[in-house]
Amino acid sequence: MRDHLKFLLIALLQCCLSLAPAHGSVRSEYEVKAAFLFNFTRFVTWSHAENSAEPLEICIVGTDPFKELLDPIRGRLSQGRELQLRYPEIASDLSGCDVLYISESQSRNLNLLFDAARQQGILTVSDLPEFVRKGGMVGYVKQGNVIRFEVNLKAATDAGLTINSRLLELAVRVLR
Amino acid sequence: MIGRWRYWRLKTKLLFLTLFTSALGISLVCISLILVENQNYRKQLESELHVIAGILAEQSAAALLFTDREQLGSIISSLKRIGTIRQACIYTPGGGVLSALESQDTRPCPDITQPLEAGFVGDAYQLLIPVTLDNETVGHLYLTSHLDVMRNHIRTFVLVTIAVGALILLALVFLALRLQRIVSGPILTLSETAERIARDADYTIRAPVSGTDELGRLGNTFNEMIGTIEQQNRRILESRDSLERIVEARTSELSMANRELEAFSYSVSHDLRQPLRAIEGFGQALEEDCGEQLNDAGKDYLRRIRAASVRMASLIDGLLVLSRVSRQPMENESIDLTTLLQEISDELMNIDDSVPTEVNIQKGIQVVGDSRMLRVAFQNLLENAWKYSARVEKRRVDVSAVETVSSITIEVRDNGVGFDMRYIDKLFVAFNRLHTPSEFGGTGIGLATVYRVVRRHHGEISASSEVGKGARFDVTLPVSRR
Repeated sequence: MRDHLKFLLIALLQCCLSLAPAHGSVRSEYEVKAAFLFNFTRFVTWSHAENSAEPLEICIVGTDPFKELLDPIRGRLSQGRELQLRYPEIASDLSGCDVLYISESQSRNLNLLFDAARQQGILTVSDLPEFVRKGGMVGYVKQGNVIRFEVNLKAATDAGLTINSRLLELAVRVLR
Repeated sequence: MIGRWRYWRLKTKLLFLTLFTSALGISLVCISLILVENQNYRKQLESELHVIAGILAEQSAAALLFTDREQLGSIISSLKRIGTIRQACIYTPGGGVLSALESQDTRPCPDITQPLEAGFVGDAYQLLIPVTLDNETVGHLYLTSHLDVMRNHIRTFVLVTIAVGALILLALVFLALRLQRIVSGPILTLSETAERIARDADYTIRAPVSGTDELGRLGNTFNEMIGTIEQQNRRILESRDSLERIVEARTSELSMANRELEAFSYSVSHDLRQPLRAIEGFGQALEEDCGEQLNDAGKDYLRRIRAASVRMASLIDGLLVLSRVSRQPMENESIDLTTLLQEISDELMNIDDSVPTEVNIQKGIQVVGDSRMLRVAFQNLLENAWKYSARVEKRRVDVSAVETVSSITIEVRDNGVGFDMRYIDKLFVAFNRLHTPSEFGGTGIGLATVYRVVRRHHGEISASSEVGKGARFDVTLPVSRR
């Protein structure tokens, strides 16, 4: 009887373990967001990037919510470019950035950052609420337990960025 | 089977040959068409599925990256419109199922961490391709297509092919029936002609010849042969006809000569009588009226003249009888020969009974013939027997008959002087005598007359004797002359 119980317990555990990777719900919110960040870079074309051999820089301004979760994407290739991470101290020092993640702590500097991004052709990403409506390009949205995203196509086009239609298809909302 | 071949008719052989060959060809063509079509269709299906899978993989790459099940679901559900797709699964790079399309049967997506057999498996075609983005594998796409549509297509194709093949074969049967006449027709006509010629022995018939091929040449040769036979036949018939004509001419000439000869002998005999009667009459008158004036020598001369005229009269009578038995038309009646012989011997007995005589005639001899002629013949034979046995002490004459299936032999035997067998050749010839008139009187016409009568009855006569021991005559007559 006890043996049976033990067997059932083991079988149940195995079942859960085997199911775990199949469903992404176990991953943490920022783990998913970090993966999304990398994936965004794969569907965006920068107009100023003549040299494809240049590394692709992801700049994170403000408080870093990812911490070590961004480590897996560091050094990975996106459209043939090596991914690099930078944490600029001041908002004006954005030269060389291709992607700008704006953390919640920078919500007051948004207009400044948007201007810089439009001029320098930088993709702006943030999980601030109503980020795309304010003028950001890609904003994370949480629908229940699932992380999705919105796109402001107009802002991206103004900055000289082209966003792949595949990405737009996947967006919850696209502002044109 | 092959042995039975030979007894088939030429028509059937030709037809069978044509149809068998064409059926073989048609079925080979059909089979190869079906095989090629099957192969082509499989290839097409394969490439179609690969194209679909490729498009799907490209479409689903982004959604896979963002693990957007909703989007994947909508992408994959577009496959529902393609009826042949049975199952489609999209996997994460780790092998987990992200989205799946399952039609009628809900079987789980296969585990792709295990090696999977691709291509035509069982009743389905399955393929597994990686979903890539910038050469990086971001997931896998698994697709299964059931082969019902292909099966139906192939089945329809097979049916259509068979139907078309059957139609072609039917058309070929019709064609072969017509075409074989071109080959077998002349042969059949030739053989029919040959049979007709053999049956009717009509060598004027010719086989119709058309064309200059081997059959035409055969027909020509055949006709030439028949022509040669016809010519030879005509020549044979002509020579036979001419022979018959010659024989006929000769026969008529001969019979005319015969008739003339008989008429001559009859008229001569008849006409000779008158002067003879005058000689005899006047001789008698001379003897009666002037007998006294003649001396002994004169009387002797007169007697000799009268005796000679009597002898001549009997000669003429004999000749008349001979010519009569030659000329008279024959009658055919049943005759009681015993009675006839008895009458003759009674007459002879009355005329000459100088010698004691014993006559034995077998009872019940029946023959068929002309009674007057036979009476003449047997009268002569019995007269001879009487005459040549006149000098024995006791005359003895025996008549007996032996009957066989086809003939009857009458034997007449006497105990007279007989004759020398050396002169048997002259026995039945007219005017030939084996004895001198001084020994035995006679004209030398009697046996010739007998011979004539027997020959006219299609019989035979033979004689045997020894000098001094009597003579024996055998007359053989056919029993039924029919």
